[in-house]
Amino acid sequence: MAYQLLPFRFEWFNENEYLLTNEVGEYIFLQNNDFQRFVNGELDEHSELFYDIESKQIATTDKVEDVVQMLATKFRTKKSILRDFTSLHMVVPTLRCNSSCIYCQVARKNMDDHSADMTKKTAKNVVKTIFQSPSPCIKIEFQGGDPSTDFDMVKYIIEEAEWQNLFKKKELDFVICTNLTLLNKDMVKYLKKHKCMISTSLDGPKDLHDTNRPLQNKKLDHHAIFEKNLAMIRQIWGNNDCVSALMTTSKHSLGRFKDIIDEYIRLGFNNIFLRSLNPYGFAKQYKEKIAYPVEEFIANYKEGLDYIIELNKQGTFFVEGFAALLLKRILTPFATGFVDLQSPAGVGIAGAIYDYDGNVYVSDEARMMARFMNYYFKLGNVNENTYQEMFNGELLHHIIASACNECLPVCAECVFQPYCGADPVRNMSEQGDMVGFRPTNEMCKKTKAIIHYLFELLQKHDPEINRIFWSWLN
Amino acid sequence: MAVMKFPVVELAKDKFQVSVDMSLYAKEVIMATIYKFSHLFYIHQQTDTNNQTLVNVIFESKDNNMITEDIPKQFCNELIDQQIRYNTNAQFGHIRDMIVQEAFKPVTSK
Repeated sequence: MAYQLLPFRFEWFNENEYLLTNEVGEYIFLQNNDFQRFVNGELDEHSELFYDIESKQIATTDKVEDVVQMLATKFRTKKSILRDFTSLHMVVPTLRCNSSCIYCQVARKNMDDHSADMTKKTAKNVVKTIFQSPSPCIKIEFQGGDPSTDFDMVKYIIEEAEWQNLFKKKELDFVICTNLTLLNKDMVKYLKKHKCMISTSLDGPKDLHDTNRPLQNKKLDHHAIFEKNLAMIRQIWGNNDCVSALMTTSKHSLGRFKDIIDEYIRLGFNNIFLRSLNPYGFAKQYKEKIAYPVEEFIANYKEGLDYIIELNKQGTFFVEGFAALLLKRILTPFATGFVDLQSPAGVGIAGAIYDYDGNVYVSDEARMMARFMNYYFKLGNVNENTYQEMFNGELLHHIIASACNECLPVCAECVFQPYCGADPVRNMSEQGDMVGFRPTNEMCKKTKAIIHYLFELLQKHDPEINRIFWSWLN
Repeated sequence: MAVMKFPVVELAKDKFQVSVDMSLYAKEVIMATIYKFSHLFYIHQQTDTNNQTLVNVIFESKDNNMITEDIPKQFCNELIDQQIRYNTNAQFGHIRDMIVQEAFKPVTSK
């Protein structure tokens, strides 16, 4: 053989072609015959085809040590998300909520039930723990319940964190996740003053939003209040970027993705993350009523993505967030942290959640599992354990060792491995252990199908689609 | 013309056998391939009593997944891909280790 093969993975992409990817996400399509010749060492190393393969660092005629240096640099860049350790810290000031979403994953409390409110002592210890993270960037995200139901606690934590940060001097950001309905002008002014961004949920047009996310007080019109408060927030803030929105797909959302996207555009959003239902909480308990086969989500996702591409072609800049994330991994050498889909998994090491009672879990989904009496992913409690015990303990080491897709069965050989990630919490919830079983894993099916579809679109070499995709990668 | 011996045999209505030649395929390759089918069918593997270089892989219907001749054929195709992975990995596996080692090497300042 006149050339040295470099590490790559491959898979039959369609009847005629194989897709090859290397450790750092470079890719190339090879015709079946060319693939066989390539792996058998029969390709002419002076052919155009071989030059293409070599340019992707899937084979080389150079000294291997030199290529290893280059690939190692790229690999280090791709994995640079690991450098800072935990930067996303989700805090649950209360479980009280005025909504009764059909897929609620947290066992919310009624508005007058204060049994799941965080105490000041716990809040202080939460902030103290957060600031022991070595990360130079700290993002505190308020989750719930709806944190606006205990706004005094939100304020207490913000101010405590700002005080701690006078000494720590980290880059400190805040986000509050709320349905918007309880926010008033004073609250919004406070959030603006403290640079606390707002993340909300919007499931689509009025009928769909109100079906998925009704308020407990049936006399109130959730969508109307949402729209009124959204306008008020933007007016106080002076721009549209202060509020981002997330959608969740229930059974009722299927066949409605165009309506959902149109609603986002009508309300002035320029992106959407077409998100399937997570199998936790009510979503798991009432599966028959609100869940659906993963294949249906995939079909809807593709239709939604096609529609978004079409809108962009017609001049409306609008981004599909999941596609943008994956495209950044496919088309650029940059690192993209995304707690739900990275390798090693982001659980605990990229994000963690602090519950109202001080319990610390590796992810929001792990907290949801705890609501249903599964405490496997509990790292400890801020009132009882030290930072080292929780974040450098045996449990987190064990979880992360099971969460590198480079060495998980089937993932290890998957052609999409460089763009994908592991999710031990989801594997545990769906399949009973952290490693999971890929051939029946729904998350795997969904992610592979979407990446495959993106490659189909890239393979078209349509300049307009390519331009749109690149415009999404800011 | 030489007669090609087809490695797939129907043992019963819901049972097929694939004879895998161990001089062509590694043991790890057979296991990796079986893993991908094990959720659909009951799969047994055993060394052929008459020919120690053959491993017989037997597929049996499980739940509602009725086995047809296509399945063992897909299994044969998957065996080929898995063997290529095995062969290529033998050529570049050490390079993958070198890349990871180099990437995570501690930085030393002079």
